[in-house]
Amino acid sequence: MKKIIIIAKKEFLDMFRDKRTLMRMILIPLLAFPLIMYLITTLQLAQSKKEAEKTLEIGYYLNGQSEKYIEKMDTAANYTFTLYSDSVQMQKDVKSDSINLAILFSANFDSNYQSGKQAAYSLYYRQADNEEFDRFQKLLDLRDEDLVQERLKSQNLPVNYAQPVQRNLHNQSEVKEVIGKYAGGILPYIFLAFCFMGCMLPAIDLFAGEKERGTIETLLASPVNRVHLLVGKMIVVAAFGLISASVVLIGLFVSLNFMADGNGLMVEVNKILSPQLIITLYLLLIPVAIFFAGIMIPVSVYARSFKEAQSILTPLNMAVILPAMIGFLPGFELDYVTAFIPIVNIVLATKAMIAGTAPLIPLIITFTSLILLSAVAVFISFKQFGKETNILR
Amino acid sequence: MIQVENLRKSYILNKKQQKEFNTQAKEAIAVDGISFSCKPGRIFSLLGPNGAGKTTTLRMISTIIRPTSGKIEVAGIDAAVQPNEVRKKIGFLTGSTGLYERLTPDEVLKYFADLNDVNPADFEQRKQHYYDLLDMHDFAKKRIGQLSTGMKQKVSITRTMIHDPEVVVFDEPTSGLDVITAENIIKLIRDCKSQGKTVIFSSHIMSEVDLLCDDLAIINKGKLLFRDTMEQFRANMKTSSLTEEFIRIVNHNSPINI
Repeated sequence: MKKIIIIAKKEFLDMFRDKRTLMRMILIPLLAFPLIMYLITTLQLAQSKKEAEKTLEIGYYLNGQSEKYIEKMDTAANYTFTLYSDSVQMQKDVKSDSINLAILFSANFDSNYQSGKQAAYSLYYRQADNEEFDRFQKLLDLRDEDLVQERLKSQNLPVNYAQPVQRNLHNQSEVKEVIGKYAGGILPYIFLAFCFMGCMLPAIDLFAGEKERGTIETLLASPVNRVHLLVGKMIVVAAFGLISASVVLIGLFVSLNFMADGNGLMVEVNKILSPQLIITLYLLLIPVAIFFAGIMIPVSVYARSFKEAQSILTPLNMAVILPAMIGFLPGFELDYVTAFIPIVNIVLATKAMIAGTAPLIPLIITFTSLILLSAVAVFISFKQFGKETNILR
Repeated sequence: MIQVENLRKSYILNKKQQKEFNTQAKEAIAVDGISFSCKPGRIFSLLGPNGAGKTTTLRMISTIIRPTSGKIEVAGIDAAVQPNEVRKKIGFLTGSTGLYERLTPDEVLKYFADLNDVNPADFEQRKQHYYDLLDMHDFAKKRIGQLSTGMKQKVSITRTMIHDPEVVVFDEPTSGLDVITAENIIKLIRDCKSQGKTVIFSSHIMSEVDLLCDDLAIINKGKLLFRDTMEQFRANMKTSSLTEEFIRIVNHNSPINI
């Protein structure tokens, strides 16, 4: 045990001195989410402000009808209405983006409206500019609502006559269930992706790197049992995976705090991120980190150089990220089958834990299967590390 | 004391390796039944051309790799039975040894002292001894990555000796070093001898062997071709120089004096 601690201590010191490691495993995960979220919210706000302030150019062709429908909208802020005498030209102008949208009234619009029938017009728009369409649609909805009220009034009917039934909605699910269902997949996905990345650099550096630098022989000639050597290094690899995942969680938490800014979201997030959930998450993540270390170390032991190990391990990243994406898909839940599928099980288990609906037995199966898998990975690592042809390749 | 008896190391070749080495053989023999002994207070040189099996032999003595057959005893301990005990007795230095570039000499030395169970008082005393001897105080706290090749070599020497090994194994220790830096190694080998340590070193540089060694073994293609004292080697020379004699024995490629 003493030798394991000596080795792990030295490897921690060595890794923490590496700027590349600090950058990729601590700085980037810590800043990734605050920066991404800050950029997204700032850009989104700026964009929506710009959109709201933009004057929409609306063309209309009366087709022999009155201007009554348009007149009422003409006073709306940030809109310009232009009368066209040529409907074909008007359509062309929408297509070429010279104007934003256009209305072409039907030849019997006025008569149909006045006789209580349904009046019709065609709306020309560009789907590519759907924000403009959505904005104008809101104005049109208000205008249509005016017309409904006008008709009801003329018939001396009550204002809610056209709405015969009132539907009162009462949500019975808790907010955390909703967050669990729609956003619960993100947390384990981020955790796994960063845990994998966090393990990768030390796994390469502590084995292939040691071979490349020519330090492995000296180490093997020292009075240290090879199992202790492997365990000491493996602790560091797995720990860096956990550090990386934890740092990204802190970053995510900080950015949510920043974004929420008193709108009540953080109260719910804080409720979800209970100490119990975090402890359970780490209980699941520790065997996963050991499993990651266990699959990376044999590759790193086999590789001749840092570069060779990196070229083999980088595509392996996809094997982790793709199953982790299952968490985003609806319909997948933790059950007796999914609990046996590595990566998928941890994602679904976390999702269910966030929603507070995690079934106990599949959860136990998940944990046990992850422990078994990490034990197999450690065994494979040990076998590979024991092979002379690998370590002195 | 190092006792090597009928030492053999072979590797199973897979199809890819058979193709690579252009052979049908199922195994490659790196060391083929060699025997020799190195005595305390004497310098034993293992001489041979590139690929002769010198490094493989020294790696087996240092327990980095296991022999296919044969026996190695280091300081009276069977290397196959108690490899960890053997490692405690050995100091191992190769010309290609790297160091942890992000650590300082102080940290590297402490790491290897801890791995070798050196007690703190002995560690401090030995460290100071080598720092004084090799003039290392100025760079003891600098990162190794910032040091010159000569400084790194001094750190490697101290690292090799920090646990005061009984047996010191040098695998082509001066390879790639300039004469000034190599001089530190030559001095270290001589010091080890005067301290009564058992020293084995491999080389293919005859001038170095001439300068240092008491006993000599020449190997080629894994087989032992010559084993005797340096005095006997000189006395029985059939050519005019040591290098020519070495080449003659290797080209003859059959045991001459074992």
